[in-house]
Amino acid sequence: MGKGMEHRAGSVMVVGGGIAGVQAALDLTELGYYVYLVEKAPVVGGVMAQLDKTFPTNDCSL
Amino acid sequence: MSDDFNPKILGFLCNWCCYAAADAAGVSRFQYPPNLRTIRVMCTGRVDPAFIVRGFIEGADGIFTGG
Amino acid sequence: MLTNADLLALDGKPGDFTAKIRQRPRYIDADNCTACGLCTQYCPKHLVDPYNEGLALTRPIHIDYAQAVPATYYIDPSSCLHLTHDTCQICVPVCQSHAINFSQQPEEISLKIGAVILSPGFGRISKETLAKFSYGKHPDIVTAVEFERMTTASGPFLGEVKCFSDGRHPKSIAFIQCVGSRDLGCNNGYCSSVCCMYAIKEALVAKEHDPEVDITVYYMDIRTQGKEFDKAQLRAEAMGIKFVRAKVADVTPWENRLQLTYSTLDGRHEFVPHDMVVLSVGLEAPKDAHGIAKITGIELNQYDFAKSDTFDPLTTNVDGVVVAGAFQGPKDIPESVTQASAAAGLVAGMLEKQRGQGIVHTEYPEEKAMGEEVRIGVFVCHCGINIASVVDVHKVEDSVEDMEGVVYHTDSLYSCSADAVETLKERIIEHNLNRVVIAACSPRTHEPLFQETLKSAGLNRCLIEMVNIRDQCSWVHAGEPDAATNKSEDLVRMAVAKARGMQPLPEQTVPVTPKAVIVGAGIAGMTVALTLADQGFDSVLLEKGKTLGGNLGLLNHTLDASETAAKLKQLVAKVKKNKKIDVITSAELVDFSGFVGNFSSVVASGKKEHTIDHGVVVLATGGHEHRPGGYLLDENKKVLTQMELEKRLAGRAKNRAPDSIVMIQCAGSRGDDLKYCSKVCCNHAVKNALQIKELNPDSQVIVLYRDMRTYGYAEDAYREARLKGVIFIPYEIENRPEVYEKGRKLHVKFFDELMQEEMDITPDLVALSVGIVPDGTEDLSKLLKAPLTDDKFFLEAHVKLRPVELPVSGVYVCGLAHGPKPVDETIAQAQAAAAKAAIPLVKGAVSVDPIVSTVDQDKCIGCSLCVSLCPFGAIEMIKVGKRRKAQTISASCKACGICSSHCPTFAISMGGFTNEQITDQIIAFGGVKEKETADVA
Repeated sequence: MGKGMEHRAGSVMVVGGGIAGVQAALDLTELGYYVYLVEKAPVVGGVMAQLDKTFPTNDCSL
Repeated sequence: MSDDFNPKILGFLCNWCCYAAADAAGVSRFQYPPNLRTIRVMCTGRVDPAFIVRGFIEGADGIFTGG
Repeated sequence: MLTNADLLALDGKPGDFTAKIRQRPRYIDADNCTACGLCTQYCPKHLVDPYNEGLALTRPIHIDYAQAVPATYYIDPSSCLHLTHDTCQICVPVCQSHAINFSQQPEEISLKIGAVILSPGFGRISKETLAKFSYGKHPDIVTAVEFERMTTASGPFLGEVKCFSDGRHPKSIAFIQCVGSRDLGCNNGYCSSVCCMYAIKEALVAKEHDPEVDITVYYMDIRTQGKEFDKAQLRAEAMGIKFVRAKVADVTPWENRLQLTYSTLDGRHEFVPHDMVVLSVGLEAPKDAHGIAKITGIELNQYDFAKSDTFDPLTTNVDGVVVAGAFQGPKDIPESVTQASAAAGLVAGMLEKQRGQGIVHTEYPEEKAMGEEVRIGVFVCHCGINIASVVDVHKVEDSVEDMEGVVYHTDSLYSCSADAVETLKERIIEHNLNRVVIAACSPRTHEPLFQETLKSAGLNRCLIEMVNIRDQCSWVHAGEPDAATNKSEDLVRMAVAKARGMQPLPEQTVPVTPKAVIVGAGIAGMTVALTLADQGFDSVLLEKGKTLGGNLGLLNHTLDASETAAKLKQLVAKVKKNKKIDVITSAELVDFSGFVGNFSSVVASGKKEHTIDHGVVVLATGGHEHRPGGYLLDENKKVLTQMELEKRLAGRAKNRAPDSIVMIQCAGSRGDDLKYCSKVCCNHAVKNALQIKELNPDSQVIVLYRDMRTYGYAEDAYREARLKGVIFIPYEIENRPEVYEKGRKLHVKFFDELMQEEMDITPDLVALSVGIVPDGTEDLSKLLKAPLTDDKFFLEAHVKLRPVELPVSGVYVCGLAHGPKPVDETIAQAQAAAAKAAIPLVKGAVSVDPIVSTVDQDKCIGCSLCVSLCPFGAIEMIKVGKRRKAQTISASCKACGICSSHCPTFAISMGGFTNEQITDQIIAFGGVKEKETADVA
């Protein structure tokens, strides 16, 4: 990631890298846009990464 | 031969679930006996009964399919 | 990806924003860090681990969890000894890849962007609110998030539930619902919409760990309104988890137990002990909501979540800025994922002209010819100490020396590091390798990386086989180095055997017809068509009726009082005007064939038949009100459905608001004719009740309910209704209200749980909340080979992560066809379906993973067994000369191999997993035994 000004046409900024942010970023990439995913924490994933299993099927969340 | 039975087990692991689970076991550092030798398949639907027969012919003591 | 980064400012207009970002240093160079973990082992300072909710210790230099992205360690500046006291630096020389860099400084970055999606998630309920339940006063009172970490098998307690006070296993656990939700005391008047579900989940998990444990959930209403959610609650009840309808007033530590004070509906006061108390904490607006609002200019609602509108749930007051996820309002994972896709679709529509301009394309050299000779190169990875500390890497490497076909072998410290990948490429070219075996970690994570390397070295990407000697060997046999080395040797030998048979597989792509067919022109279908049109794609909108609008046309207003008729009129006009949308009314889909990118549909409309070629299909077929028996509906004209009541209330009749009315919730639902909850009926009842009170304040309105499921902000309306004098009385499923006629009077008999007595009243009207059934899903399911749930709604590809896609590629679902849901959720889901459906249309071609099946038509006897077995409809029978032969539809094939293992003539082969290759692997496995015996002898 370069310093200073970045300029790319067709780019989108996603603020927050939880499950919503990550999904939005993935979809945008697939739809032909460059994405900057901006996350406060050192890792993406948000709260979902803390979950063990998910309702109602109790599948693993990772 | 020692008295302890030390079986050789051949495993067919589905890429999407059992193989992933085996990876997760590693990440969590779960310890299990080192008797298993695995073959990754994209789905256990790929496992032809002939593979299982062949596994026994080649000397497997047990065969594990996980999917 | 910019982690550790804060948004500082946002200026500009849609299509041309400038964002200022500050990236805080992580003090570790991401390009060099191999995530080996050595630094954490050496770091001398302890740190309470926030990822594990403070239940474990970590070090200032750490990574939250093994699968974290980016897989780079991080130094917590507030606890690192060097950063706080300028000492230590032990980690710097320890790191073998020289990744630690304390000279990193915060950087300011400016980004030029076209649009912004805000998905900052949610905040935590304050400690003060938790303190009402004695949280912090006794260690055995935990939040549900802490409990989640405790029950996690890979968590700090390895899944064991223990009391913090003395380490004993709790014999009885209490879950207290609505902590920080539905509570004006902490200004959270809304329902958080997820806590009932996670409490049930955690209770089930705890019960699995210890079947003896006694679990009680204290609740006001169980709100498991989502698709298939009620089933999980029934399962929990069946497993012995107790549900008690009571608001807990107080938690008192009492000796080594916790006493709960509560009163039940029938007025009993209870004082009951438990060993452990779990607080089902709600979702709050993110802590920095005001900061985000200030920077971006968006408006917040009274609860500090982003302000939103029923008909534009994701757009904000600032053009070019959309929201998604819990910041839009408390919601669960599938809803968040849906909104995320929807937001992506909206943004894609806004920036349609800029599409594709920012994407980087990589060029690869042409693949070189294979030659006859097998030339395998084996690369064994140390993964720092991850593999090498257990497995004797050199012994493994030496073991391949004499293997047939192996012409080169080496080891490397980190095979995946940038320089090692470059070396791999050089070695492939230098030794003219045509097959590569890499013994390292999991192909699930690293195969794509090495496949790229092969491509850049001029080899087909299918010519690699990975051996997992880390995740499935060194990590799990840490105490048995000899056995682990032995296992590694075996696995490598098996991989080499397989590698000999590897063949280059062609990259297949199938062109896509850039057009969508949308079945159903209600609010969902119209939204899909418009969202696709914004992105520049044509669609054909099929409507079985004569007019557009579906159920929306039957509604008068929504709960937040938006007029539906005007909105609908606008929407219909927009659809009709749009040149990219072709509407066919009185339409029926009579035939459907093809595969993603190349579907062909036959549509009958009146006497005409249209054949449409299209790339994707979206199912938005909607639903209608169920008409249950047993409540005199259609027999007595004083009994109506909520929809009929709404219409009556919107009319002009003088006595349209009755003087007395009884509303019966779940009439025909949740275990009656329909098994499921229809999600919208509670809101609908509250909406109509408020309308009656508006027109006729003296009216006696009684709502008989099982659980009032006014989730999210609808809770406000529920509260308002109670304040205005609407009477809500719960009933139990075994004691359903009875509606009967006596003389000319309409009677309702029910058991009043509050007064504990049988009531019999004669209201002017009875309104039934009847639930929703899907329209025509069974026929479509057969036609499209798309599965349904037991309740006849379409079954999505993945309940959490792919909520609008069906298992059949290129087929998407939204609206009531997916499950009952209110207007705002339908719109977001339709936008999401449009975004997902646009993906193949944007790409213009569907690329097929080369590991699909292929049929050798010389061997095929045309029995069509494979066609009947294929779960994805990916094999078709074609005529070759005079005979019928099977043929794979590559674009639909998911490479499961069921066809191949069942073909009676072995005519079907799986790319990369041929019969020969797997048999060779098995034979190589057999080699183990001989060697072992020889060794022992």
